[in-house]
Amino acid sequence: MFSPLASTLEAPSNAVKLPILKVTELRKVHQTSSQELIVLKDVSLNLAEGDTLAIVGPSGSGKTTLLGLCAGLDDATSGSVELDGMAIESLDQDERAALRNRLVGFVFQSFQLIPTLTAVENVLVPLELRGESGKQAEAERLLNEVGLGDRMDHYPLQLSGGEQQRVALARAFIHRPKILFADEPTGNLDSATSEPIVEMLFRLNREAGTALVLVTHDPDLAAKARRVVTMSGGTIVSEVENEFS
Amino acid sequence: MGWRDSRSQRLRLVIFSLAIVSGVAALTAIHSLKASVERGIELEAKSLLGSDLRVSSRQVIKPDEIESLARRAERVSREVGFPSMLRFLPDRGARLIQVRGLEEGYPFYGQVETQPKEAWEKLRLGGGILLEPAVLDQFSAKIGDEVELGGIRLKILGVIEKAAPRGNRFSGFAPEVYVQLGDIERSGLLGKNSMASYQLHLKILGVGDSEDLKQSIRDEFPKSRWRMETPENRRENLGDALENFQKFLGLIALASLALGAIGVAGAVQAHITRRISIIAVLRCLGCPGNLAFGIYFAQALVLGLLGSLLGAGLGIGIQVGLLEALGDELPVSVAPSPEWQVVIQTTATGFLVCCGFALLPLLKIRGVSPAVTLRGGARLKGGFWRTLPVYFLLLGLLVMVARANDPDWKRAMALVGAIVAAFVILTAVARLLMAVARRLVGKRLPYLPRQGVSNLHRPGNQTLLFLLSLGLGTFLVVTILSAGKLLNDRLTLQQSDKSPNLYLIDVQPDQVSGVESVLRKNDLPVLESVPMVTMRVQAIRGVEVGKVEGVPGWVGRREFRSTYRDRLNFTETIVEGELATGKADPAGIVPISLEEKIARDMKVGIGDEITMDVQGISIRTRVTSIRKVDWSRFNLNFFMVFPPGVLEDAPGFNVVTTRTQSPEASGELQRELAAGFANVTAIDLTQILKEVRDILGKISTVITVLAGFSVLAGLPILIGTLMNGRDVRLKESVLLRTLGASARQVRVILVIEYATLGVLTALTGVLLAIGANAVLAVFVFKGSPWPDPLLISSALGAVTLVSVLGGLALSRGVCDHPPLEILRGGS
Repeated sequence: MFSPLASTLEAPSNAVKLPILKVTELRKVHQTSSQELIVLKDVSLNLAEGDTLAIVGPSGSGKTTLLGLCAGLDDATSGSVELDGMAIESLDQDERAALRNRLVGFVFQSFQLIPTLTAVENVLVPLELRGESGKQAEAERLLNEVGLGDRMDHYPLQLSGGEQQRVALARAFIHRPKILFADEPTGNLDSATSEPIVEMLFRLNREAGTALVLVTHDPDLAAKARRVVTMSGGTIVSEVENEFS
Repeated sequence: MGWRDSRSQRLRLVIFSLAIVSGVAALTAIHSLKASVERGIELEAKSLLGSDLRVSSRQVIKPDEIESLARRAERVSREVGFPSMLRFLPDRGARLIQVRGLEEGYPFYGQVETQPKEAWEKLRLGGGILLEPAVLDQFSAKIGDEVELGGIRLKILGVIEKAAPRGNRFSGFAPEVYVQLGDIERSGLLGKNSMASYQLHLKILGVGDSEDLKQSIRDEFPKSRWRMETPENRRENLGDALENFQKFLGLIALASLALGAIGVAGAVQAHITRRISIIAVLRCLGCPGNLAFGIYFAQALVLGLLGSLLGAGLGIGIQVGLLEALGDELPVSVAPSPEWQVVIQTTATGFLVCCGFALLPLLKIRGVSPAVTLRGGARLKGGFWRTLPVYFLLLGLLVMVARANDPDWKRAMALVGAIVAAFVILTAVARLLMAVARRLVGKRLPYLPRQGVSNLHRPGNQTLLFLLSLGLGTFLVVTILSAGKLLNDRLTLQQSDKSPNLYLIDVQPDQVSGVESVLRKNDLPVLESVPMVTMRVQAIRGVEVGKVEGVPGWVGRREFRSTYRDRLNFTETIVEGELATGKADPAGIVPISLEEKIARDMKVGIGDEITMDVQGISIRTRVTSIRKVDWSRFNLNFFMVFPPGVLEDAPGFNVVTTRTQSPEASGELQRELAAGFANVTAIDLTQILKEVRDILGKISTVITVLAGFSVLAGLPILIGTLMNGRDVRLKESVLLRTLGASARQVRVILVIEYATLGVLTALTGVLLAIGANAVLAVFVFKGSPWPDPLLISSALGAVTLVSVLGGLALSRGVCDHPPLEILRGGS
């Protein structure tokens, strides 16, 4: 199948795959007025470049917290997160932002588009923040790819949930991230809408070598990842590797 | 439900309440200050007269008349004044002085100040005499020396620094001396042919009305020729300074209401906008529109009430604190106590304004669709017709407060009109800005400025609300500051070195150059040198003056001192007609100019004929212009001004004015003039000028303080404005951070947006203020319509800076905290 993504993303090299993400004894504690709430208990895991990982588990098991910490969106109480060999806890907020802009793509369950920007403007934001201009055509091509060629100048409020999530995907792809974090990417979508989005996520992984970290409740989606870790009560209780033919 | 809903939003509600608190505090403080100062001005006017009523007569006021008058008063004090010779012992010379013989008690209001301090008390207890400092210097006399007045010898107790209120500014052509009334009787100077004037000072029982008392005396003694003065008459002595000051207080009070209201409106709008999703959920769960409205209206009522009460408390604190802090700097003596009636009125007004402005967004709640729960992101829209009655209610409140602040309803309506016009203009400018931003921002512009400018027109933009609230705030605050500056400039001018303090009277035409030479030799300026001719009114419109209906008897009895010239002086303005500038024909009808108050008293207007008796010769005149004269400037002014060509040959004299720097210089000049020009009389007005200047200086201080305080009243606007734009910009900034924006990039975007808004808001607000100031200057305060460049540039800079700093303050949390913390926290 023709894929415009392939034309914009280079294939991964076949060299030794270094860990793009290394999590060591990560702990997150919330202090409430009466007690300490331990959300993550000394979680450790690694993810190689171009690998795919699904994190599953019941609500409140710490999946989204782990994802946020891995992406440098939150501060851990203790432990370490290394992204592409860089220890996030040693970086200030600006350095983390720069790292995200260089390496990371995001897809949120609630889309998190900037409401004041049109679809195409939303897609362009990561590049524009880098100072890269003249990429309008690329953004439009990506929106065409996700089936929104006729909705480019619409504001998020004027798009359906599925359409918004597709804009978020195009935004996540445009700056060719090395790792993409997706928090329940299809959680707000029906099966018909979610299918092409899942397909696109994994195509990015295959064709551009982008590592993929998914948080999901959907066993079918988790089954598409090479590795699946199950969390419960803030710890990883099991890990399986899927066999693909 | 309203209470439960508030639990998750306490901090935000506190900020919302802060806008109400500061708005009501400003309203209460300024209105209370206005009430306090007005009460003080009333008291000050009494201290200018020294009593509640002064009755003056050229004839002795008989004991039975005094008894009758005394029955209407709490206290009565007699005074006798007349010119006499005072001899300095031993054989130092003598001069004409104006004697004031006072009975104990007077003045009832205000203080007489002497040097040494206890001299006034000594005079009251044991007799003696108090002199003006220049007289002491003129005769090289000192305290303790003796003088002879009529048949008695009196010891000099001291000099007068602040005199007891006088009958009028020129009570005599001689310096004043003070003695006990009993000593006057002993001196034997009060003969039948004396030029004495008899006065009775009355202090009214309780809170009486001086004008009522005056009228009742007129009714009981219809044939008396008594002249009666009330404190109200005395206020005119300060020219238009106090009147302008009160107008300024009215302006500032109205502006404080508008400022507070705009702040409250912004805060309520921000609060309700944030609750739309919850309202939609309530609607989904079956909550009727009216109930949803009721829940949030109840919340607004409670907040409004608490905010208003807290604001009133704070306002009282500010008012009392300011009065305490200003103390002696106040132009009037005011006890630092709360003005409870004003506090109740302003708290109620603040609460009503709060409810009114809360209704504007609240009424739109009923239009919030339950479908918002499905899609989110809805905004409060529409409902203009539904909210129209609320706009009328708010306009009504504004009109009511404006009317209460200004007795002149035309001026009050003009102020309200100006605020409404500013509202319309700012709306138009905001719409224009959005249209321009939409069209001009091209894709070639670098991302950061493009993003910043585009935020001005994109959905969720704050352009309209920002311009309206901060623009109106800027307009009102700059107008107040400009008006304050305008008044202060006028007061400075009134206190300027141009005001003469020494009048040289009876200078004969052939002596003018000689007298002027003496002044120049003493390094004293010749400020004015004008001819003066005395005359009486003979007939008005061809009818003998005594028989003209409605014209008081004194018009016919008065000896008018008039001048002739072909131009106005710097304290005069023509209010009607045109000043005659050409040479007039004495045989024809002579065009004259009348001062507006005297024209009113004489019941004449433009075109009316007045026949004047100029020392035996009848001259027919016609009123061709009416002048407004600023009497507070102490320069030479006249009720009647003739054109050249008529009075040049009439018997008269010149008056020359100058300004001396010290009593010694005044004494030296008077000695020299007495030697060379014995007929010339010097009137030293230093004491009177000092009293007036003191009051003007204090008024100036209070205007500066109050104008500065109005900047504080703009605080709620800033809070409301920033709160309105905060949520949208906060979310956008956090998402940008998540996508990799640096703190600098987030800040640059915000700075561009807020700087653009700030510059345009400042520019529009300041331009509106310049226009308003010009109108105020020309029609209300009678000053220069040109704005102060320093004030204007400071306002432009300050508003832009405050906007940018406010915008940056929004990004503070965004840049310092992890994005997830903010995304989850929602604020």
